[in-house]
Amino acid sequence: MKLTPVALAVACCSAAVVTTTFAQSPVKPAQFPEGRPYSPYANRGFPTQVYWGDEHLHTAWSGDAAASGTTLGPEEALRFARGEQVTSNSGQPVKLGRALDWLSITDHSDALGVVSGIISGDPELLKDPKIKEWHEKMQQGGAAATAVMSEMISMQSNGTLPKAMTDPEFLQTVWERHTAIVDRYNDPGKFTAFIAYEWSSNPGGGDNLHRNVIYRDDKSRADQATPMTTFDSNNPEKLWEWMAAYEEKTGGRMLAIPHNGNLSNGRMFSLKTFEGKELTKAWADARAKWEPLYEITQPKGTGEQHPTLSPNDEFAGFEIWDKGNLNLLPKKEGMIATEYAREALKNGLMLEEKLGTNPFKFGIAGGTDMHTGLTADEENNFFGKYGTSEPKGERWNDDALSFEGRVVKDWEMGASGRTGVWATENTREALWDAMARKETYGTTGPLITVRFFGGFDFTADDALSREPANIGYAKGVPMGGDLQRAPEGKAPSFLVGARKDPMYGNLDRIQIIKGWVDDKGDTHEKIYDVVWGDADSRSIGDDGKLAPVGNTVDAANATWTNTIGDPELITVWTDPDFDPSLRAFYYARVLEIPTPRWTTYDAARFGITVGPEVPVSIQERAYTSPIWYTP
Amino acid sequence: MRRLLQEPLLHFLLLGTLIFGFYGVLSGEDAKSENDAVVVSAGQVESLAANFTKLWQRAPSEQELKGLVDQYVKEEILSREAVKLGLDQNDTVIRRRLQQKMEFVAEGLVAVSRPDDDELAAYLSAHPEKFAREPRFSFRQVFLDPGKQGAALAEVTADLRRQLRDGADPAGLGDGLMLPAAFADASRTDVANTFGKAFASQLGSLQEGSWSGPVASGYGVHLVFLERKQAASLPQLAEVRDEVERSLMAERRSRANADLLDGLLSKYDVRVDWPQAAPAIEISRNGEQQ
Repeated sequence: MKLTPVALAVACCSAAVVTTTFAQSPVKPAQFPEGRPYSPYANRGFPTQVYWGDEHLHTAWSGDAAASGTTLGPEEALRFARGEQVTSNSGQPVKLGRALDWLSITDHSDALGVVSGIISGDPELLKDPKIKEWHEKMQQGGAAATAVMSEMISMQSNGTLPKAMTDPEFLQTVWERHTAIVDRYNDPGKFTAFIAYEWSSNPGGGDNLHRNVIYRDDKSRADQATPMTTFDSNNPEKLWEWMAAYEEKTGGRMLAIPHNGNLSNGRMFSLKTFEGKELTKAWADARAKWEPLYEITQPKGTGEQHPTLSPNDEFAGFEIWDKGNLNLLPKKEGMIATEYAREALKNGLMLEEKLGTNPFKFGIAGGTDMHTGLTADEENNFFGKYGTSEPKGERWNDDALSFEGRVVKDWEMGASGRTGVWATENTREALWDAMARKETYGTTGPLITVRFFGGFDFTADDALSREPANIGYAKGVPMGGDLQRAPEGKAPSFLVGARKDPMYGNLDRIQIIKGWVDDKGDTHEKIYDVVWGDADSRSIGDDGKLAPVGNTVDAANATWTNTIGDPELITVWTDPDFDPSLRAFYYARVLEIPTPRWTTYDAARFGITVGPEVPVSIQERAYTSPIWYTP
Repeated sequence: MRRLLQEPLLHFLLLGTLIFGFYGVLSGEDAKSENDAVVVSAGQVESLAANFTKLWQRAPSEQELKGLVDQYVKEEILSREAVKLGLDQNDTVIRRRLQQKMEFVAEGLVAVSRPDDDELAAYLSAHPEKFAREPRFSFRQVFLDPGKQGAALAEVTADLRRQLRDGADPAGLGDGLMLPAAFADASRTDVANTFGKAFASQLGSLQEGSWSGPVASGYGVHLVFLERKQAASLPQLAEVRDEVERSLMAERRSRANADLLDGLLSKYDVRVDWPQAAPAIEISRNGEQQ
């Protein structure tokens, strides 16, 4: 890092204050190597902490959630996410193992509303003598105001409230209630609550094109525009248009996170527009601008990669939902090719060659999409996706989705996921900015700490550091970043490290997944095992595969032991197959050792037997945002 | 087209058309009556235009406005017909939405009176457990990985603790772990999230000012130098005013909903005819099972 003239000027001025004369000015910063201060903690502008959250949660304010028995609203959802114990929709006490650092509640964006406006003394309302009396008493505050409240509630119970109070003209919209509650729970430095909603586009009878819209802003800006609904349009291009209009009008910022391409019947990462036209540069620019992240994991299946697209990836068949779209309308041949993140990242490189912009240059997020108001995704604390799927014996065998005989069972839901955000502080602005620059990763639940840096100068010794970020940011770019034009004779090297979640399983391995496009425009991928646990007894075999880590899960008791795998893995890896003339991306996938799946906890706690089709254990995992290489 | 033919909604509409057509023939009524007028007032059109503007941040074009009015007319007619057919009855979504609107009214009423400082102070002292500041710890740690140390772990740990107590520099000692060697003023929750709950609770019982351990974490074992422990404390109102107000108001809102239901229940006789197999359960006035 070089000191800027401003920094030098500041240094001189403070020297002047202390010594009163320039002649005795202290040592010049230039004497230190590369301008780094002596104190290793000073001037650290980079993120030193990962903040955990859920970018996708519904409450009773979503119509489908209420219909399935959810009664918890946004307020309870926020209290729960912050670590408080609440009573679930089915009356059970529930608390998170670890409080989250942030949450965005994404209720479906339809609006209607109710009361308020008396406090401000709206003249229309004050025409009613009763309301005028109340307004005056409320100005007095204290006991008088409390008495008014009691009287109001009693009149409401008796159906004798003044008509003016329930007049739709004075109804406050649900949106303004949402923003008020979220603002109330947003505690900069402690807990971030994002204003957000889900735009739930389902064209073609259930082709899932949903997007979570996340605001950087507070209520004062968010209230200026009505959220976009699917009554307005089902076309994502119209959503981007709406987002642009919001930003221009309010000076605010927002981004959208699409999810469940696996239920889109080929449309999430289609190589045509919504209306079936050819993609253009303008379209690619808009998609890349408004949708910097993709939700790669959640209860309705994994979105990373489908096993048929990567037959050599023995970990691709993880929690797959591929029966159809959201209404289970069956898939046609070829649809899967444009539903999964890895394929989209590869096609993005190909499109960048053609259009000049990579429309699918997205980072990675994970969410729960729970419709219970409870972001309870821990395997041993899974409260299901709907109010009806909260813990009870035999819930595994209920229907999660059912359309004319096409069924997905509750056991097929995964207890997933979380987003880790590398940010400088826990505020809306810092977290949102980190999302926008894609310095994020998704996990299937565990809070695994993952660092991933790319550059051209990393050496094996860099992996010995206990704070790899110091070297990572100095020599390279973090996850979500870009590498360009490799220096002559050099290949990209990556500093990658992961520390286990102290409450979950040890780590099995770290893989780096590379995708590239060749000079004919064809896309390719390769998976490298770069560092693994139990390295003294495991190695890569003749088939190029690393031996499995083993399995310690005791199904009857739903336990495991951390006697296999390692608590931490870190290494520097250099791409052995690098061609500096080809576009490529690299992302890290971190795998845990097998631990019990939520259905195994259900079986042990309720003393039931689940069907043989239900996996006993799973290997939880983290997926980082990619680092892209551009020639 | 086949899918369209399978749509239950279409069946409903066809059935409805048949019933109403039949009824119309029988009663000899004219197809139109005063009740069938759909009047879109100038105010309504302005309101549609205003909603559009709030959504798109610009006024609708003439064509768009016409589209909005057409859409409104369609919505009005179809929803009236749906109500005539009784499609609003027994619709869980509509019923829950209406329930929610009633609750919003009750909660909205609570929001009109903000608690004063006396009320907040009383609430704070009545609920110390909600607002107590957690204990905080400043400590240094050296990690040992049982997987790497194997059978020698106990011996290596004891040896390392002796070195540290004799004043050895902890930097570079022990096994690598991507965690800071020193933590300053970390809350108990932060410690638990980083090292695991067992570590956090053991940390509180360590003696200040010397190297102790081994302390087990989710990663392995640690030798720990506890520099300073700050006990849990109850903050002043000024420090946690927003938190207290938020909590008190949340409680009032939920009480308002309970009061509303209680008040309304008194106007109704609720009788549940349980199926014979079910055990006899009485529903109390406040709706809870006894």
